[in-house]
Amino acid sequence: MNDRANEIAAIVSKHRERHGALLSILEAVQRTNEHNYLPKQELVMVAKELGVPLSQIYSVVTFYAFFNLKAQGEHVITVCRGTACHTRGSKPLLDNVLHMLGIELDEDGMATTPDYRFTVHTVACFGQCALAPVIAIDEVIHSMVTEEKLATMIEALSARKEGA
Amino acid sequence: MDRKMITLSVDGKTVTVPEGTRILDACNVAGIKVPSLCYLEDVSAHGSCGICVVEIDGYKRLVRSCLHTVKQDMVIHTHSNRVMSARKLNLELLLANHPLLCTTCERNLNCELQALALQLGVRESRFERTKKSIRPIDDSSPSIVRDPNACILCNRCVEVCANVQEVHAIEMMQRGLRTTVSTFFDEGLASSVCTNCGQCSLVCPTGAITEKSHESAVFDAIADPNLVVLVQTAPAIRVGLGEAMGLGEGSLVTGKMVSALRTLGFDRVFDTQFSADLTIMEESHELIQRLTNGGTLPMITSCSPGWIKFIETFYPDQLEHLSSCKSPQQMFGSIAKTYYAEQAGIDPRNIRVVSIMPCTAKKFEAGRSEIDSAFSYWRDKGSFTDDEYFCDVDYVLTTRELARMLKRIGIDFAHLEDGKFDDPLGQSTGSAVLFGATGGVMEAALRTAYETITKTKLDALEFEQIRIGAGIREATIMIGETPLKVAVANTLANARVLLDQIQEGKSPYAFIEVMTCPDGCLGGGGQPIPTNKEIRRKRAMSIYEEDRGMPIRKSHENPSIQELYTSFLKQPLGHLSHQLLHTTYVKRGAYPE
Ligand code: SF4
Ligand code: SF4
Ligand code: FES
Repeated sequence: MNDRANEIAAIVSKHRERHGALLSILEAVQRTNEHNYLPKQELVMVAKELGVPLSQIYSVVTFYAFFNLKAQGEHVITVCRGTACHTRGSKPLLDNVLHMLGIELDEDGMATTPDYRFTVHTVACFGQCALAPVIAIDEVIHSMVTEEKLATMIEALSARKEGA
Repeated sequence: MDRKMITLSVDGKTVTVPEGTRILDACNVAGIKVPSLCYLEDVSAHGSCGICVVEIDGYKRLVRSCLHTVKQDMVIHTHSNRVMSARKLNLELLLANHPLLCTTCERNLNCELQALALQLGVRESRFERTKKSIRPIDDSSPSIVRDPNACILCNRCVEVCANVQEVHAIEMMQRGLRTTVSTFFDEGLASSVCTNCGQCSLVCPTGAITEKSHESAVFDAIADPNLVVLVQTAPAIRVGLGEAMGLGEGSLVTGKMVSALRTLGFDRVFDTQFSADLTIMEESHELIQRLTNGGTLPMITSCSPGWIKFIETFYPDQLEHLSSCKSPQQMFGSIAKTYYAEQAGIDPRNIRVVSIMPCTAKKFEAGRSEIDSAFSYWRDKGSFTDDEYFCDVDYVLTTRELARMLKRIGIDFAHLEDGKFDDPLGQSTGSAVLFGATGGVMEAALRTAYETITKTKLDALEFEQIRIGAGIREATIMIGETPLKVAVANTLANARVLLDQIQEGKSPYAFIEVMTCPDGCLGGGGQPIPTNKEIRRKRAMSIYEEDRGMPIRKSHENPSIQELYTSFLKQPLGHLSHQLLHTTYVKRGAYPE
């Protein structure tokens, strides 16, 4: 933890005088975090180093969808829950993924496997309705996904070596 | 310095106003009070609600009159059909997500949203609720309760906390439909840097921020025949309560207040002003001691609990500047449950002390764990055991809560006869009433310190330089041959300025008074709503009037205080004083470890 504190102090001092420092700092802290998120203690460190109120930091990280307040898995699966995807079966797809990975969505519509290999979450709409149902895996969009197709992709990812 | 003047037309009327005037204010000059909601003078100009829109010739869109300033030859229409329907629409959209639970809301009949709905003729709710979730109420704080479901996101509370107080406990969190006012990680006010000042509750237009109520507990205590319930009233109540009971702004209602409290059923009606005089005795002697023994200077007053939590949080290394004196509320509690209990022959375990305060932070203060001197006094005498623990002050009611209780029993406040406080803890002086206004503690302390140091009579009692005015005021007072440089600050943002000076080692002062709220306690977070600059000024004038009318105007001449020292405390800063009237502070810090 102490190493991490030094690392964060270094990130803050690198950016502090620049315009928009807070956003760049938070981005760098998230990127260098083991699970690609902003844990509470790390936000406290940033606030303290930078001398900004905690409420302000939290306001910023909850405003931008880019920031994660929960630990993220190595692979992120995003299931679209828009109307078009729904009518073409996105709900069974979602249930299937969750079942395969043995996890359940929390109140924010997100779930991560205990080994931090996978995170599943939903979005309101990708805006790719013509290609429904749509699922993104590690930011690559897959269209007209079927249960079989999805299962194959997940199995392929699971089979890959950790961190490879 | 002459400002350039701008001439414009409002509903066909020509008006001339200084450059930089808000359109809203210019309309006011023309006799039209444009309805507004999120805007609050001196606090918030966020322009989020869209209620204050007007139509201006040559502008395609309607203009928010609270945000924009006048331009030469503008032609403004304040109530065209377009304007009226836009206002109504904006209000209806806000109402769609606001619970329509007016009858059970604390702010029923004193709510800006409700009043606007009436004013703008909203008679039905046409729109569906768009927010999905019900948000948890934050009642973690001993002083403040926040119900985000009643919030209309006007941003006033955020701005008062950030700009007037520079505390930043709360912020707008999330975005879109999920936007809400909250604290860091939604942990609640109690774990935040919140000072409990209650200014947010004073500016909230709806019932989303209220004080944590002790009303029922006090009704219960009064009804319990085994208890002796003592009430103490802070100086600022007598210039605030009348407003909440339907009398004019700043009306001075000391006598009616006493009668009302007696009618409510309190066994003794006492005055926090008694213990304000006591505070002055202790605090002026502490100042003299610091001046003569090379103690830490400047010394800063300690009677405002929001300020105490502020310095403990943001300047934990400067605590030795604080006077060690407890606040008048707490001094009252410890004297009531020791000296008074003995004198009146009442078992202190059966005494309940209720304070009426203009302040929400007093609720927090009463629960501070280091403040239980009366109990320790008795325990040290071997009278009680640890499990019989009691606090010095049991319940704290704000001015607003007292007004609600009085209304509940149906009292005809305006026609009450003037009552008198009970003896001995009801006797006080003009110095004590000054505690209700910014600069008052300083003025009271100077009256006593002057006479104590010089041993001559002070003739000019009124220190105009430090009375209500700018956020920070300073003066050099001649105490005999010695100049004493003093400063007075109100609001925590102003306190910061003086503290930064101290931290940099550049403070030129010997004595500083800090009050948490704008213009002092009379502008406290527990005072009637609305409270604004103009109203605060009227309350201050009533405070000064009360001081002038008091037969005794210096704390050290209060006979009941003199008697208290003769028969009990012996001397200021003596052994018993230290046990009962002085306290310690906690280093908190602004960030969790
Ligand atoms: S009580 Fe005062 S410090 Fe606390 S949130 Fe409200 S305005 Fe801020
Ligand atoms: S809590 Fe009250 S003051 Fe704060 S944003 Fe909501 S409505 Fe406005
Ligand atoms: S009062 Fe002007 S936008 Fe709300």
